Amino acid sequence: MSSRPTRRDFLSQLGVTAAAGAAVGGSAVGLIGAGIAQAQEKPKGTIPSTPFKIGHMTFFTGAGAVLGEPMYKGNLLAAEEINAQGGLLGKRKIEILKADEAAGTDANTKEMRRLKLSEKIDMFMGITSSGNTPALGPVAEELKLLTIFVDGCTDFLFDKAVPNPRYVFRITNIQSADGSTCALAVAATWPQIKTYAHIHPDYSYGRNCFDHFSIVTKKMLPNAKSVSESWPKLFATDFTPHITKTLAAKPDLLVTSLWGGDYVAFYKQALQQGLFGKMKVATTLALGSVPQSIGKDHPEGVLTGVHSNYHFTYPAGNRWPLNKTFVEKYHAKFNEYPNFQAEGAYTATYVLKTAIEKANKLVGGWPDDDAIIGQIEGMMFPGPGGYVYFRPDNHQGYKDAITGFSKNVAEYPFPILDPHRIITIPIRNITAPPGWPKGEPTSTYTWIDQTWPVVKA
Amino acid sequence: MDILVVHLFNALLYASVLFLIAGGLSLIYGVMRIVNLAHGNLFAFGAFLTASAVGQWFAGSNSALLYLLLPIGAFGAAAIGAVLEPTLLRPFYRRPEEYQLLVTFGLMMILEDLIRFIWGPYPISATVLFSKMGSAKIGDFVYPRYNLLVIAVGGLAALFLWAFIYRTKFGVVLRATSQDMRRAAALGVNVNLVYVQAFTIGCFMAGLAGAIIVPSQSAVLGMGVDALVLSFIVVVTGGLGSLEGALVGALIVGTVREIGISMFPEIELAVLYLIAAIVLIFRPAGLFGKTA
Repeated sequence: MSSRPTRRDFLSQLGVTAAAGAAVGGSAVGLIGAGIAQAQEKPKGTIPSTPFKIGHMTFFTGAGAVLGEPMYKGNLLAAEEINAQGGLLGKRKIEILKADEAAGTDANTKEMRRLKLSEKIDMFMGITSSGNTPALGPVAEELKLLTIFVDGCTDFLFDKAVPNPRYVFRITNIQSADGSTCALAVAATWPQIKTYAHIHPDYSYGRNCFDHFSIVTKKMLPNAKSVSESWPKLFATDFTPHITKTLAAKPDLLVTSLWGGDYVAFYKQALQQGLFGKMKVATTLALGSVPQSIGKDHPEGVLTGVHSNYHFTYPAGNRWPLNKTFVEKYHAKFNEYPNFQAEGAYTATYVLKTAIEKANKLVGGWPDDDAIIGQIEGMMFPGPGGYVYFRPDNHQGYKDAITGFSKNVAEYPFPILDPHRIITIPIRNITAPPGWPKGEPTSTYTWIDQTWPVVKA
Repeated sequence: MDILVVHLFNALLYASVLFLIAGGLSLIYGVMRIVNLAHGNLFAFGAFLTASAVGQWFAGSNSALLYLLLPIGAFGAAAIGAVLEPTLLRPFYRRPEEYQLLVTFGLMMILEDLIRFIWGPYPISATVLFSKMGSAKIGDFVYPRYNLLVIAVGGLAALFLWAFIYRTKFGVVLRATSQDMRRAAALGVNVNLVYVQAFTIGCFMAGLAGAIIVPSQSAVLGMGVDALVLSFIVVVTGGLGSLEGALVGALIVGTVREIGISMFPEIELAVLYLIAAIVLIFRPAGLFGKTA
């Protein structure tokens, strides 16, 4: 590179776009749709009518249930829609077997084996924790068990644990995208930041967010420096000391990847300690866990991440009818709004359906796993949140990253992403490309470190 | 200077809640020699009950009523305790300890699922009590007044328990039963009654801890197990079965955590266990524990 680009130039090169959305809420054009479901063609050959068993493992108990429950509901909604049309290829009804991820990593690997060997599941889906996918991935490969992980999005899974996946896929965005998205949104919105503080839960997700926020910020805000770090335990409830410490460091910005009940407790305590008035706040997952768990007392204008995946208000209105119908159906059934896990599991179920139909057209009859896998590899699929692309080399799902700012509107009793300030980033511009050598701590980290310029302020 | 005051309040805040939980655990062990593994989930039950009463059932009522509702979680947990001791625990006093551990462990799982069954998987808040009280100015900092209330409740609970155990007739009976159950029974003490009362008080304290932290923290699944682990650190440090130990242990843990977070953020998780380990090396029965 001959000369360093300015920040503004490089943000443009990355395609970081702050877009104004359409009005929130329902538009007049009502699309009567069956979710993602396409017109059903008659399948080729004879199809057995035995149920198609999906083992769905996620958190049903413990603090993780805040993410696990919506995941299961997304899977359930899609399965019921598909079953209402007769099932997969019109014949095989989907049957979901639940398993609790809270049992612990060891027990989870045993349960995966049991589901495959005793219950004879046809497919495995779910998983919330980044601690579990690297343990379950190799077991799924060994069992030759078709698997779509919904989350557990650590880069480590396809960087190291299963570097050449055959049976294992994952649908939600890779974890490194989260820290990078947050950092780019900060650089685009608050370039004047000179000092920042961190509060992250002390486990792989928090560490990953810290790493990627730091490397991107090093490139985009070269004069800014970190002045405080806090690493509360995951599922902690008292953040008072971390807030005190952050306030004492007087940073311009706080970056946090707290989520779920942790974030709820954090923002309530931070409000009473006056934190939001003293610094900008950027989060990776604040509105991502459960949209309705954040109250209207939450300040507006906070960079409220949605795991760089999905918020049910975007794309808004009727611009992306898949989203509108999905949200309506989900709300009608469960009386709550879907989060990124619900969208991920719902889309994953339809990815499966589509792959089976395509494979059936090619080979006739019920396709074997190899045929289904061949169809998922390289598939670009429209889900409620947008297109998701399954890269053939690492089986990771990629969709454009999204984040935004908290805003209270009359339509919802909780804050949503400000429809006039949505930030989207093409995913290929913030993730390591195919063929990039595996790196430490992640391939994306070394890719950013080695290929991004340090911008001029 | 002002920041030191804030750090001190933070440490006391944490210690107050820990004392309530660990004090109850220790009281029950001291009197009945039962390590109640379900104790943490009685704390969680108290939190969920208060959260739903304040944040859901009576949401929007006038705030005086809501503050009166705050201790409902404590009474709920106490009621569970009053039922559990005679029905589930009493048959196991004569059995080896592992039976009691199994029973209370099973109870812990049942309570966890019961909470999920009643209140669902999402966090429940009762923030109105927390935000209504506003914040006090301490130099450059603002500090939630509600936290000061929690500290006061923790302190009062310690004082009240001390007076109860060392200055009342019931306290004498309680201590006598704890020292020698058979001899106390021979002297005409209704041991069964003492046991159910002690167990109920212990559960009340756990429930009170849950009720009082819920406005500032919200009720989440899994909070019980966390609380149990922390209160074990406290009682291991202070000495199992000793109320003074629970108090000193809670103060040590609160202070060490506060220092750890501000000075050694990378090992926040390890710091508490390190303290417990160091105490155990030099005083295996804890600071106030009696070696058997």
